Amino acid sequence: MDLIFNIFYYSLLLFLLNKSFQIIYTVNKFFHIAHAITITFGAYFTYLFSILLGFSTLLSIPLAIVASTIINIIIYQIIYNPLENKKTQNWQLLVASLGVYIILQNLVSMCFGDDTKSFRTWKVKGGHQLLETYITDVQIIVIIVSVGLLIFSYLFIEKTNIGKQLKAVSSNPSLSDIFGISTNKAILYSFVLGSALASVAGILIAADMDMTPTMGFNWLLFAVVAMIIGGMGKMRYLFLGTLLLATAQYLSAYYLDSKWMNATAYIILIVFLFFKPYGFSGKKLKKAEL
Amino acid sequence: MDYILHLAILVAIYTILSQSLSIVAGYSGQLSLAHAGFYGIGAYTTALLSVNFGLSVFFTLPLAMLLSGIIAFIVSKIAVKTVDDYYIIITLGIQVVIFSILNNWQEVTRGPLGIPAIPSIKIFGFAFDSKLSFLVLSVFIVAIIWYLINNLVKSPFGRVLKALSEDEIFTKSLGKNVYQAKIVSFTISGMLASVAGVLYAHYISYIDPTSFTIDESIFILSIVIIGGMRNLKTIFLATVFLVLLPEALRFIGMPSNIAANMRQIIYGIALILVIFQYGNRKNKLKMKRT
Repeated sequence: MDLIFNIFYYSLLLFLLNKSFQIIYTVNKFFHIAHAITITFGAYFTYLFSILLGFSTLLSIPLAIVASTIINIIIYQIIYNPLENKKTQNWQLLVASLGVYIILQNLVSMCFGDDTKSFRTWKVKGGHQLLETYITDVQIIVIIVSVGLLIFSYLFIEKTNIGKQLKAVSSNPSLSDIFGISTNKAILYSFVLGSALASVAGILIAADMDMTPTMGFNWLLFAVVAMIIGGMGKMRYLFLGTLLLATAQYLSAYYLDSKWMNATAYIILIVFLFFKPYGFSGKKLKKAEL
Repeated sequence: MDYILHLAILVAIYTILSQSLSIVAGYSGQLSLAHAGFYGIGAYTTALLSVNFGLSVFFTLPLAMLLSGIIAFIVSKIAVKTVDDYYIIITLGIQVVIFSILNNWQEVTRGPLGIPAIPSIKIFGFAFDSKLSFLVLSVFIVAIIWYLINNLVKSPFGRVLKALSEDEIFTKSLGKNVYQAKIVSFTISGMLASVAGVLYAHYISYIDPTSFTIDESIFILSIVIIGGMRNLKTIFLATVFLVLLPEALRFIGMPSNIAANMRQIIYGIALILVIFQYGNRKNKLKMKRT
């Protein structure tokens, strides 16, 4: 029972990250590795505002989200936008974002130090008993917030005008340009939405567990693995992907040892790319070919 | 003086690593992040064989090359199905799997404890245990590998690699076997990386898994990217620059805790600048008539 709860909880967090990454990826068509640092920024800005500057937690969380979103917009404007205008290839953008990640991650370690930190000011309580498992207050908040955000992002993309623009640009940039949808604006919207979601995910992760400057990278990679397993189709396939990944990781931790968790994730990825290169959804992405 | 020799040996080892990665990343256009894995396989094979069975380097070097060649062959069979971003993710996955095997399979590799007391290389009774003699040996090996790679990329096979990195489908239409070319180049590159691992293990005489992490892979890949992907001379210069960079930072009197981060930030900036340069020039395929 404990195991099932953990799998569910973990896959929910992964799904949130997954969604935030996918919003940027489908519009921009390159792997935004610096997305990992957005997760870290969400956590560290909250730490900066609430512990070091002494704001209340409720005030510092929105501030942190805004700050990390603004940083992402700045990065886009000074680095990615000029590069995209030069018609660079996808892998070159990927390397550039790797460079951005390295720079920002080291800035975080220089400013805050490499040790684990936490912005918990509240007391850790025993938790409520529910169906033979213990749930802490923080975990309940995490579940509510992430389910809420997932529904919100789904509705946002399906129903609002901006969401429709994002979908149009991701499926055919030149055609949507003809219809008067600005590609640059759509990309900017996708960066805002994706970064905000990622920083919320970072704050949630840091609220429940602890934070280190490199925490974003692992989480992002698992989210990417889940995205590849799920394929680039509908949300239910993505959720299936995250669920499968989380189940495999926790089962390997339960039966073998927790140190094999990372390897399991990638072995599943390799098996999937070998036998089913388009993931569950089967939608072709022109990334893998047989 | 000893210290300068030590740096020169490190430069030699990294030259082998980055030039061998250049066959895969530069010439055949697939950015691989699994290179430190093959480096680690080479180091661990020679260390285990020479410590446990007392074999001389004449046996351990071919065995290490064979083992990492086999693993590289299997890996490329899987990875060749994907392109671009997915290729990077799958090679990253393989790197993580190799690292967790080195780190967690404690019965054989002793895990995080590492393998101490690796004997120095002995050839015909002459032990390469002083730094000067080891430098001579490694410069000799670097020269052989440089010569081999130089000949390889100028051969018809090298031209197939260049062509497929520019336009894969066009190369296929000329009747060249693209898959085979990719697999062969990856296997050769993995085998050469294990040579660097053998040298490293016998030189340092103590190895542990932390020398073969994902960061190491990223470091080697950034050497290749900063060195201009497929120019062996500039890759060598980039190796000298990036390996000596921490020493230069120490020389200008930067405290060591900041210097480690500063070094990473500098190579992050270098990556971004290099990508901007790539965007400026048109990537034209130059071929000499023979």
